[in-house]
Amino acid sequence: MLFGLLCLTFAISHVMPGDPARLAAGPDANESMVETLRAKYGLDRPLGVQFVRYLGGVVTGDLGQSLRSRNAVLDDLVRYFPNTFELVTLALLLAVVVGVPLGMLSAVYQNTWIDHVTRVVSVSGVALPAFWLGLMLQLLVGLYLGWLPLGGRLGLTATPPAPITHLLFVDALLRGEWRTFADAVAHAVLPVVTLCFPALASIMRVNRAEMLETLRQDYIVTARAQGFSGFRVVTRYALRNAMIPTFTMIGLRYGWMLGGTVLIETVFDWPGIGLYAVNAAVSSDFQPIMGVTLVIGLNFMLANLLVDLAYGWLDPRVRRASVA
Amino acid sequence: MKTVRILLLGLLTLTLLATPAVAPVPAFERAGDRKILVFAGRQEVPTIDPSVKYDWSIRMMQQALYDALVKYVGNPPEIVPWLAERWEVSPDAKTWTFHLVKNARFHSGDPVTAEAVRWSFARTLKLNQGPAWTLSDFLKDDGIKVLNDHTIQFTLTQPYAPFLSWVPWWYVMNPKQVMANEQAGDLGQKWLTDNAAGSGPFKIKRWQQGVLYEIEAVDGYWKGWPSKDHVGGVILKLVRESAAQRAALLRGEADIVEGLSADDYDQVARTPGIVVPNFPGMTTFGLKMNTQKAPTNDANLRKAVAHAFDYDSLIKIYNGNAILQTSPFPNATRGHVAVPGFPRQDLAKAKEFLAKSAYPNGGIELEYVYVQGLEEERKMGLVLIDNLGKLNLKVKMVPLTWPNMVARGAKVESSPDLMAVFTTPLSTDPDAVAYQYHRNSYGKYYASSFYQNADVWGLIERARTLAKWEDRAPLYADIQKRIAADAPELFGMLANRRWGMRDHVKGFVFSPVRFTGEVDVYPLTIVAK
Repeated sequence: MLFGLLCLTFAISHVMPGDPARLAAGPDANESMVETLRAKYGLDRPLGVQFVRYLGGVVTGDLGQSLRSRNAVLDDLVRYFPNTFELVTLALLLAVVVGVPLGMLSAVYQNTWIDHVTRVVSVSGVALPAFWLGLMLQLLVGLYLGWLPLGGRLGLTATPPAPITHLLFVDALLRGEWRTFADAVAHAVLPVVTLCFPALASIMRVNRAEMLETLRQDYIVTARAQGFSGFRVVTRYALRNAMIPTFTMIGLRYGWMLGGTVLIETVFDWPGIGLYAVNAAVSSDFQPIMGVTLVIGLNFMLANLLVDLAYGWLDPRVRRASVA
Repeated sequence: MKTVRILLLGLLTLTLLATPAVAPVPAFERAGDRKILVFAGRQEVPTIDPSVKYDWSIRMMQQALYDALVKYVGNPPEIVPWLAERWEVSPDAKTWTFHLVKNARFHSGDPVTAEAVRWSFARTLKLNQGPAWTLSDFLKDDGIKVLNDHTIQFTLTQPYAPFLSWVPWWYVMNPKQVMANEQAGDLGQKWLTDNAAGSGPFKIKRWQQGVLYEIEAVDGYWKGWPSKDHVGGVILKLVRESAAQRAALLRGEADIVEGLSADDYDQVARTPGIVVPNFPGMTTFGLKMNTQKAPTNDANLRKAVAHAFDYDSLIKIYNGNAILQTSPFPNATRGHVAVPGFPRQDLAKAKEFLAKSAYPNGGIELEYVYVQGLEEERKMGLVLIDNLGKLNLKVKMVPLTWPNMVARGAKVESSPDLMAVFTTPLSTDPDAVAYQYHRNSYGKYYASSFYQNADVWGLIERARTLAKWEDRAPLYADIQKRIAADAPELFGMLANRRWGMRDHVKGFVFSPVRFTGEVDVYPLTIVAK
């Protein structure tokens, strides 16, 4: 699958109009300068040769060099991907932690004020453009109320901890830099909430719909007839079954969020992979584009693998089928 | 329905809460007793290697970290001595001799010598990137001669009067420091991406790619500081969204911002504690017309378009903060003349030209290509649709990403009928603009009109080789008139350069030869109230 992805990305990025060497050389560069860069980065070779060289590099961990940043793509990805990973993971965790219970409550108390409120939240989450929400939160909470920073990952004078995992939160904790950790948390609140909102809305809606269907099943009626408490019926029997489609959605969301953070990263100056990819795309800098695609593809596959494994944990029938 | 109403009410409340004007908080960062200026800019600084690349953000940092033999200062821009205290030029403008100051030192403590200057020029020529194109046609490695520790001589392959006007962008590096960090014969390229080996007023403190870049003032800078209140350092923080930049300025998290919209500038200018320096720049805006492909290869059609356009709308789009071009050359370019009869909206004249063209009744469609997402250019396209409609000419608006535009404009066959282009010349010498109309510029985005006029090309070639300005000036006056007469583009306007700035920032010196957004941070001071 990854090979197919690489082939596709390579083909698309090479049929796009635009001469990466000319763009990298600068608007005033003469032809000899463009040729110098073209030769330096191997862009003067036939496409087949370029692709084979690229594949060879990928196998040895060399993802090529960015024409724009003049850095190794791998170094750039190590710099930017952890930021996006933290942002997306935190946003998704928050969406699950809030969305699943709200979806459940909404179903259990269908057509009550609880259901109405959660539906407003879910409709808003789907309807509001993330960048608008981000800007509004930034203006309201950051500028007007002054409660939280406007953007970035740390304050201007703060220095990030020496990297261990390249994950800022984890590194700050591992190094015991509590002040940096608190600063990072404060900077993360608005982007995480903004990114979480659409995911939360989707999770809530799917979970509500599945819960409503599950709650009407015979075994739930049987469980109630046997005198199990309402709480136990809902959390132990109904929720577990309703979570299977919700998990599928979470897996898909994760992949989508990894590749779709660019607007949030722009609004909140979050130095992530989305911005890196967009900057590369507008410069026809295709090595980073392929590097980003590879990383997102890998993560997408990993997320779906985890979702598949979760099915087995949630549903004994799946477990038994895979054993058989 | 009820849900929708609640949602709308929520949205309205949020918007209203977020709208009120916020009292600015006067603030700047402090590091000990140093006052640190925070500049919120949108553009990254992917490399600071002076031989490799330049744009406004890169050059702002290069100018702070490095020195050149001479420097552009002020408005109108003047070339003043810097590492060179004086220079001489031979009568044929072929040999240039620079005498260096004796007290200049790199940040490493090594003296700035003529050999360092030679090595720096040779490195840029060898790498053939960044500013190399400005001199590579005239200067070869063996033409750079060290006469003694403090004297260097450049012998050009042919006379070239504009030589000095490019020298401010050839920064001097410390060869010892760079070569100590060379990897696999790269002449230090990898190391110089985010390290500096200069002698400038600032040195690097932090370089967090994609986040911020911090430089600190060099104590005892060899040239001295213009004020005792000079900034102790500068943080260029990346803030990529205009609304976030504005918010950072209002909240006091930024001392200077660039790149706001015209409306945002007007709004922050009304906020107490904030000033908006506002100067006519050197960046021209024009609609390049493909002069070698039908239908715009018809000069009368081009002139009809040029006379149908409502030029005042350009000023309105920028809320009055722009001036119209009066020549193909920007006003700050040396030798600029206001060309008599320069096109302005005149529908009768436009119809006359159209009648003389191959399309007397119009009835054709012209393709207008502009940068996707650039609102000003989109508005200009709408004006064009309206204006040309009166000549029965249709306009097809085609938004493209910048790489696609550059690709389209690189070849005659693909270059569109009309292409919206902003162009900033790198020097104040008229050759910097005139040469954009020379055939050797074909392929570059600003030459997408593929202008052809052998007489004009001849004049351009001759003017650049003459040593005396008195001889060059009339040629450039003639060049401007001839280009205007051929109407290879719809010459538009020069948008003002603006920045949002806290009023405790003093010492700002505008120079139109700097790029849009670029600020010379050396003379800046912070005067706390």
